[in-house]
Amino acid sequence: MSTRSMSPGGALLRASRMFSLPAPLPAPKIDQGASIFHSETAMLPYPTHQVITTLNSSRERGDWGLKRPLPLRSTTKSTHPMLRVKAVDTAEQITDYASAADHGMTLKKFQELNMPVTILRTAGGGRIHTNDRTNVPRMSAFEDKLDKTHIPASKRAAAVEDRWRFEGPWLAGMSQGDFKTWLAEEVRPKRSQFRRFLKKKLAKEMSDKAAGKALDKAQELPDRIKAGSITDDQVTDYVRHLRTDNQALFEMVGEFLDLAPLKPPKPSHSAVGSQPVGSKFEFRDVNSPWAESGPPITHPSAGLSYLRTSMFLTNHPIYGPQMHQAAAEARILRLRRPGQVLGAKYGLAGFVVDAPMGDTSSNRQGQTVANLETFDPNLKGGAKTWVQPQSVLVNSSGHIMITVGDATPEVVLVTKELLGDAVCLDAPFAGPAEETASDLRARYKAADPPSMSSAEQYGL
Amino acid sequence: MSCRQWLSSAMRQCQSVLARPQPSRALSTSAPAAAGFKRTPSDTPSRPSGPAHRMAPRQPNHNAGLQGLVSEGMGRRGSAGPLSSEERRGMLGGRGRGSGEQARGDTRAHIQDMRQNTVTENYARQMPRRWRAGDAYSPRDLSPYEMGKWRKSRRPDGDVVDILGFNPVDNYKNFALISEFMTSAGRIKHSRETGLRPVNQRKMAKAIRRAIGMGLHPSVHKHPELLRFGSRQGNVAAVPSTSDPSQARL
Repeated sequence: MSTRSMSPGGALLRASRMFSLPAPLPAPKIDQGASIFHSETAMLPYPTHQVITTLNSSRERGDWGLKRPLPLRSTTKSTHPMLRVKAVDTAEQITDYASAADHGMTLKKFQELNMPVTILRTAGGGRIHTNDRTNVPRMSAFEDKLDKTHIPASKRAAAVEDRWRFEGPWLAGMSQGDFKTWLAEEVRPKRSQFRRFLKKKLAKEMSDKAAGKALDKAQELPDRIKAGSITDDQVTDYVRHLRTDNQALFEMVGEFLDLAPLKPPKPSHSAVGSQPVGSKFEFRDVNSPWAESGPPITHPSAGLSYLRTSMFLTNHPIYGPQMHQAAAEARILRLRRPGQVLGAKYGLAGFVVDAPMGDTSSNRQGQTVANLETFDPNLKGGAKTWVQPQSVLVNSSGHIMITVGDATPEVVLVTKELLGDAVCLDAPFAGPAEETASDLRARYKAADPPSMSSAEQYGL
Repeated sequence: MSCRQWLSSAMRQCQSVLARPQPSRALSTSAPAAAGFKRTPSDTPSRPSGPAHRMAPRQPNHNAGLQGLVSEGMGRRGSAGPLSSEERRGMLGGRGRGSGEQARGDTRAHIQDMRQNTVTENYARQMPRRWRAGDAYSPRDLSPYEMGKWRKSRRPDGDVVDILGFNPVDNYKNFALISEFMTSAGRIKHSRETGLRPVNQRKMAKAIRRAIGMGLHPSVHKHPELLRFGSRQGNVAAVPSTSDPSQARL
């Protein structure tokens, strides 16, 4: 079947976000270690489809802005109308949709935490390691220096440490098989291109050298050497020279293939026995936050939160400014068992987090902590504990890593009071006054007519 | 006398004293749990009904506690294996001190601890998913239906030979690798279990046949070295060597 030619207006509509759903993201990779035991229907670590919603009045008519109205029975019952559309129209002439309340509600819960998304740098720019869970202020994912998306092609190589998007892969994250395939399919066809690239580099290097010499002798500057005048033999010699200088070679290859920065190996690892004679392995340190665990697959904030910092004071109407942000209640997902090395796991805002590291008051080591070690089936709603969210990071595979610490009893009390779960200044929480039917009627009469949906309603 | 024998004789004594075993309780999951968590002193003396009544306060008989322990153990300890040395010491201590109040309290607390542990383990077994930091979950993921899916093993998604990029035939000496693709009875695993694509499955099968044919690997069970390692914790599978000469050059 030949493809139908589309009118410019039609093409515009198809490409526009206003009228068409974005193409789904590729499904997250299942970790190889966990691939034997996994569920295909479990919630994905990040959404792959756009979540759509509609106004209540439209929902009652099945109107979701799609090609055909959706069945009322399965779309009108939920409190939060959120759907993901897998296919707007299929061969069977149906719209394939499913509930997207899982990711939609997770986003809402996450935004209630009031946490900015950070990257693996301290607020001052210092390095933090991937497994570092110390509570130091971290750099925002929106820091101007590192949050660049449009960089002209000529400046890409210079800005390699400030970028988070790269054309080439992150070599340390590739398996051997993937690496071989990549070499064969992507790299080998570019051989002649690479020689041309080297010619340019060599010409520039030689011109700079000649210019430097001329300057030293106070002579007139010679003409720049052109890449076309470099012979193949010269390039071959240059390649041989590069092979003895691993750092220069990696920089050349990295610039040519636009590889993501790599963390240099530790000195003990670089002393390999198979070192070629006459060469030495030297590595230049890189300062990119993505060198250690790979560049992110999305924007480093993943669009979860647009806050720039968590360094703000919350003000309490009675107690005044608070030292800490509000605490959050976390579900105890996995208990800490005496014989096991693995610690407890909490669920916070729909994400699995590690229990606070080390010997903290809620996670005391060497002692029995009742709610972390025993399961109480009589507890309604399951066991929960109060934590203080500290930092949020989107790792290179798109998982949301939240670091939590212990919440102090004062913070917990203040948070509970604000939620109406605890007494405030010895006065029991009164709750709303009893309303009579006439009050209700008056209230509904006085209410504004249903307004257009606000951005806040959609969790933005 | 082994621990089991000692327990059963203790149980026989208890039967004679109480003569009213409660088999239905031993099979229920939630009722003993409720008993285990009701530790408030007001519960035990005042209410004659309910499971907590079994350790009757009017009878200064520590055997009652033993009875509960044994029936508990018989009913719900899946393996019904011997008690750990610590538990046994606790029980013996309680017995040795006679019918003192202190001893009875100790035994009771200990039994409640054990009950709590059993309940915790039983429920933990219902949650086989290994949560990892960064996973997202919704209430549905905590449901028994969804949890059941994490219990059974599935065929691996990718072809491990392609992912690791090695040639199985060159690795016929790697007994850890060979054993991974054999059953414990020495048969070559089907590709529906290994997840290899046909080309790699044939290569792997050839490597296994070669290893067995050369006498490097037993044909009836796992390699003895692996059995020796198996008692230790940890993974012994070695990373297969790549024999591609181009790799050596890099």
